[in-house]
Amino acid sequence: MTSMESGGDGGKWLDAHYDPVAGLYTFSSCVDLADLSGDGENRLVVGDLGTGSSGMKLKVYRGTALMSENTLLDLPAGLVAFFMDLHEPRIPTTAVASGPCIYLYKNLRPYFKFTLPSLEVNTLEQDVWQQAREGQIDPLTLKEMLESIRKKADVPLSVRSLRFLSLETDGLDEFVQLHKQQPIRRQTVITCIDTLKKSTADEDGVSCLVVGTESSDVFILDSKAFIILSKMSLPAPPTMMDVTGQFDVEFRITVACRNGNIYILRRESDKPKYCVELPSHPVGLVRVGKNVLVGCTDESLQGFTQKGKKLWKIVLPAPITTMAPMDLPTRGFQGVLVGLANCEVHLYRDKNLLSTIKTPDVVTSICFGRYGREDGTLIMTTKGGGLMVKILKRTVVFDDRDSAPGPPLAQSIRLNVPKKTKLYVDQTLRERESGVAMHRAFQMDLSRVRLAAAKAYVKALESSLTPMSASLSEPLKMNAVVQGLGPSFKLTLHVQNTAACRPVMNLAISFLYDENLYRIRDPYMRIPLLVPGLIYPVGTFVDCTNDKGITDIIKVFVLHEGRSSPLLTAHINMPVSEGLALS
Amino acid sequence: MGLLDKLSGWLGLRKKEVNVLCLGLDNSGKSTIINQLKPANTQAQEIVPTIGFSIEKFKSSSLSFTVFDMSGQSRYRSLWEHYYKESHAIIFVIDSSDKLRMVVTKEELDTFLNHEDIRGKRIPVLFFANKMDLQDAMSSVKVSQMLCLENIKDKPWHICASNAVRGEGLQEGLDWLQGTLSAQHTAHITTTKNNFLNMFVFLFFLYL
Repeated sequence: MTSMESGGDGGKWLDAHYDPVAGLYTFSSCVDLADLSGDGENRLVVGDLGTGSSGMKLKVYRGTALMSENTLLDLPAGLVAFFMDLHEPRIPTTAVASGPCIYLYKNLRPYFKFTLPSLEVNTLEQDVWQQAREGQIDPLTLKEMLESIRKKADVPLSVRSLRFLSLETDGLDEFVQLHKQQPIRRQTVITCIDTLKKSTADEDGVSCLVVGTESSDVFILDSKAFIILSKMSLPAPPTMMDVTGQFDVEFRITVACRNGNIYILRRESDKPKYCVELPSHPVGLVRVGKNVLVGCTDESLQGFTQKGKKLWKIVLPAPITTMAPMDLPTRGFQGVLVGLANCEVHLYRDKNLLSTIKTPDVVTSICFGRYGREDGTLIMTTKGGGLMVKILKRTVVFDDRDSAPGPPLAQSIRLNVPKKTKLYVDQTLRERESGVAMHRAFQMDLSRVRLAAAKAYVKALESSLTPMSASLSEPLKMNAVVQGLGPSFKLTLHVQNTAACRPVMNLAISFLYDENLYRIRDPYMRIPLLVPGLIYPVGTFVDCTNDKGITDIIKVFVLHEGRSSPLLTAHINMPVSEGLALS
Repeated sequence: MGLLDKLSGWLGLRKKEVNVLCLGLDNSGKSTIINQLKPANTQAQEIVPTIGFSIEKFKSSSLSFTVFDMSGQSRYRSLWEHYYKESHAIIFVIDSSDKLRMVVTKEELDTFLNHEDIRGKRIPVLFFANKMDLQDAMSSVKVSQMLCLENIKDKPWHICASNAVRGEGLQEGLDWLQGTLSAQHTAHITTTKNNFLNMFVFLFFLYL
């Protein structure tokens, strides 16, 4: 017990043990808790990966101390403890998957080794090696031939050939001499392992092993006779697996694959029943109740139903390192523990963050369950090889509410929406009954409006009725401002040449108006040369000669000398004259 | 309690009855300890995990004990607090070989000491650092360090190493408990005796 500091988790966990130099390098798939000696005290079984190339060990912890160690021959891909028979005393067997084999340990002693059936070997490859053995071809030719087989064959090459192809030229001869006598075998490799209860859902019922392989297959193995009970194929190699149900009744295998998809296998078919395509690759897969929670590389946690329908998605503050379920049946609690790269472990129930545990190092494996005699024990190993044990307090209560900052609680209170009126109901009924006809009528009217608008637009363009001129030789823009209260108004026209660099010359402005209502001081004005880009104000005065409050439109034309049609037109709605004419 | 009972109590003719609460985590050896303290002819051969609680009675030289042997399983630990009020002494049993759960023991002990029925009371607490025979057991000093027993200032307490299976260390603890309880009892009796005497003097004066 080297550390007793509280971990900033709101006092929900007791720090039972922390050994920063335990030398445990492992992942969640290689950790399990089981009553290995049948005395009611659960032990921690860990498949230690060592340095990754040596020092692989099967370690068993009791309390705070290492109880036993067994050397493993190969890197463990997964570890499960399960009951393989009904013999008394009920002592579970430990299965360690590594390479193409499953090593079984009983009473912490090696008990049985099961090897997956080897795969079909490419016949061409076999022939080539046969020739090499008989000395008909030299290693260089062998390499060329294997290279060509590798490119076009539909059955992949064996590991031996692939290693041969990766060698430098000077090592070829030696390699052939060493290996040519042995027959070629193609073995698949186990990527993940889990257990499936055979026929009863009891805690100590006999289980089958479920194995995912690099050859994109899922095997269900009988634990008594070690025969393959069922074989299912996937579109890609599986990486993580969750199994639920019973083999004889109904089961469901949720598999995360290397192509970034999640497939759901059922009892009846040997092909996936449902598929979930994820936006990014999965790094953790945990089933909580009937939902599947997936942690992705885009720092998100997503919830799916068991039919693959997406329920929710939350964004996490850091990349996920590992995930594990937290199941506490005595209190009816189910959640998921997510280890993050920022040295935190988050506990979520659905998408609600319930607790945050700060750890001194990045957590690489999490296991929650009964350890020793304590039901709510959380075991974590860290990147630096540390072992951490925390115990959930007896009196702890998890709030239903999300402890992460988010929308206020008031947002989820239902508003008192008034009841539906008869009119609303009638309308809805009408819409439901004659929805197609209504849609058609609407579409027809919409088309008519569009047609009318287009017609008016074409007409305006043709007769230069717009205050914009799009002609190439004189691109002009004009807007008009009327100032004053009346009866005398100032009319200012802002004319702009929108051409890139060409000036416009020989323009004039003329007005068309009701001479009974208005008098314009300069009804015809010449416009000076227009430099591109500048805005030229052209002003004149309009007097309203009528005192009855009648208004009219004044039309402004910009004309080019020697042409009868205007370049552009503007309609000015004159305001009401509020003063009286003096004369 | 009638006057005669009281009188016999003061005169030491009758043994005083004390209620003792036996607490501790599951598998710490509470029932085994209680079983060892009972007379040899009433001892049980096999100890099974206690469900809820069980009541045991036995006598020592001067006291008559009624022990409430509580179950230590986490689901029954919420029962403990209901018996705090009526107890005159506490026996707290610790599995000194269970290093991992020492923190749970401390948590339960702190909850117990901070309970409103216990906090202000000068109730004697006897700790048994049990399972001393096991190889990986911690010493009683180490156990008291880990549980921070030195922080208990307002209650008489005592820790002794024990091996309940063979009965080692139990008598030492019980002797301490008996001594402390008797001392408290005597102090109590002295004050009541004085009150009684005063009353007699008062009545005498009234009579005059």
